[in-house]
Amino acid sequence: MSRRSFFLGFLFCLAVVPGLVTPGAAEDYSFDVSETETKPYSLGGYAEFRPVLIDQARGTAFYKLKLYNRAKTWTTEEYNSKLQLEESYQRGISKLYLRANADLNNTYQGWNSDLQIYEGYLSVKPSQSTDIIAGKKEMRWGKGYAWNPAALVDRPKNPDDPELALEGYAVLTADYTKSFDGRLKTASLTPVLLPVYDNLNNTFGSLNHLDLAVKAYFLFYDTDIDLLYRAKGSKPAAYGADFSRNISTNFEVHGEAALIAENPQSITDKNGNTAKKVFDAKSWLLGLRYQTEKDATYIAEYYHNGSGFSEGAMTDYFSFVDTAYASYIGTGNAALMQKAANLGNSGYGAVNPMRNYVYLRVTQQEPFNILYFTPALTTIANVDDKSFSISPEITWTRITNFELRFKAMFLAGPAGTEFGEKAGNDRYELRCRYYF
Amino acid sequence: MPKKLFIFSLLAFMAAAAHAVDGDALLREVDRNLEPPSYEMYRKLINVEPDGRKKEFILYMVRKGNEKVAGVFLSPASDKGRGMLRLGDNMWLYIPNVGKPIRITSLQSATGGVFNNADILKIDFGAEYAVEKMEEQGDEHVLHVKAKNKTVAYDRLNIWVDKEQKLPVKLECLTEKGMLIKTLYYKEIKDFGDGIVRPSVIETDSPLYKGYKSVMIFSKIKKRDLKDEVFTLTFMSKVDTLR
Repeated sequence: MSRRSFFLGFLFCLAVVPGLVTPGAAEDYSFDVSETETKPYSLGGYAEFRPVLIDQARGTAFYKLKLYNRAKTWTTEEYNSKLQLEESYQRGISKLYLRANADLNNTYQGWNSDLQIYEGYLSVKPSQSTDIIAGKKEMRWGKGYAWNPAALVDRPKNPDDPELALEGYAVLTADYTKSFDGRLKTASLTPVLLPVYDNLNNTFGSLNHLDLAVKAYFLFYDTDIDLLYRAKGSKPAAYGADFSRNISTNFEVHGEAALIAENPQSITDKNGNTAKKVFDAKSWLLGLRYQTEKDATYIAEYYHNGSGFSEGAMTDYFSFVDTAYASYIGTGNAALMQKAANLGNSGYGAVNPMRNYVYLRVTQQEPFNILYFTPALTTIANVDDKSFSISPEITWTRITNFELRFKAMFLAGPAGTEFGEKAGNDRYELRCRYYF
Repeated sequence: MPKKLFIFSLLAFMAAAAHAVDGDALLREVDRNLEPPSYEMYRKLINVEPDGRKKEFILYMVRKGNEKVAGVFLSPASDKGRGMLRLGDNMWLYIPNVGKPIRITSLQSATGGVFNNADILKIDFGAEYAVEKMEEQGDEHVLHVKAKNKTVAYDRLNIWVDKEQKLPVKLECLTEKGMLIKTLYYKEIKDFGDGIVRPSVIETDSPLYKGYKSVMIFSKIKKRDLKDEVFTLTFMSKVDTLR
């Protein structure tokens, strides 16, 4: 039944495609001047429908945590819909900007909806060198594609879909930029004030702090260089740096490093006894982007997550989940399962919670001369426990403003490993997105 | 005998040098006729498929000298707000969803189709290429030019230049070994005002994309002085505000 529903969703997406195809008129190369008119107000965005089918990995730690009270749930389906609106109003040197995101999802947990302001700010540009911004904004620091250890004032992005927009934090920030002749071409400074109080940015860290962070950017010897700093406040003090450089016309290298001083971490033993460790977490990332003559693009990254869990710590956590599950089956008491779930939410259940990862994405632009057709293959491997995910996908953008993406994800790894203990074995997702 | 040989060699060298200077001077003249050194303009890019179906993009672009080019996509909605920046040999793409500039290479294509990033963020031919040979074909000069360094998208170009108007008519982009990558056809000469008279349409096709072609249409080309800070990563999301 669930597979049938998923494919009905798939067919629905395909059914709307022909209606959007517009036949072209040959040799009509007009360029109407009205197409270039400036308007102070603009409204755009996209609407998305995304059915997902997941074959659950029965017996794994995260399957137990998610579905322990739902007997014989072998396959789950999701029908996710999203509306993301972008509005802006420009007047003189000022600009108001808003990005709002509305989700309406039907999953194994039933219907749920969510409305969030991802970004909403006022930008004032007294000169082309200076921009002062007040409001909710994503800072997006760091040069990595899949991970950004140097993103000191951002929410972590999802390496399975790193190009998705994220919710920002309410900040007061400014950019001051100066250009030069010579080896140093550009320098810019971005200070950020981030208040963390009960009703403002309360998920960033501990409450009642006014946090300060600074980014200094340089384009020096044709290399992008950022130096980053976050003062101690609602989070520990942190220092970061990143770089990016084109080695040739088809080869780019980038890297990031971050040090979080006195980083706290809650760990559990296999019986569920938790303890707090405090240590200096050193994280780094090295990556490249390479394009072949046949238009295949390789993105490869190696990520060391200094605040991640060791193999032993993860094994202990998985053992605790097994113990909690056995207790639930034996007694019907879900208290230990709830404790295990809470630990999952505090770090063990993060997308990539361990220490060393490799990311590889290969994208072939328009193979066999098929324009707007892009197949890709992505793998994320845990270097420590040798488990991995592999995700083939195809994207089709032939129809103006319409994007169709089919993506599958397969997880591989024995019991006790990161990808071997995730809830979903196989995952199939169709994303139909219409921009307006 | 050695003296005669020396004089002959010297004359041959001087003739070749004079020839090269003529070619490079012509290339510079072509550059100035095509675009002022600092400008703003609008471009429409059309990718045409073999069955006639089209996909269109509109860009607003600014340039300052031979180092700095920036642009922003105004349409379609799926690409609106995407920014492109070139600073010397460095190129970046800004995608609003991603929220930060990403380094790109000159051979990639931000729009799909036959035009790549180097075609869109083009600077003067004379800044990147030197004339190796010049020949005459009827009403046209043919300039055979070679890249000055390895950071350029095409190793060699053959440029057919109208003798009278000093404007390109056709341009072939080649690999170092002489393999044809694409051909550009310059069409429909138009007076944009302020002394700018140039082809308003560039069509391109490629043996690598048989049956497909891409077209670039130019509009509202105007001389404009811009601050250097416009051509920086922090300004990429704000290029639209220059309009």
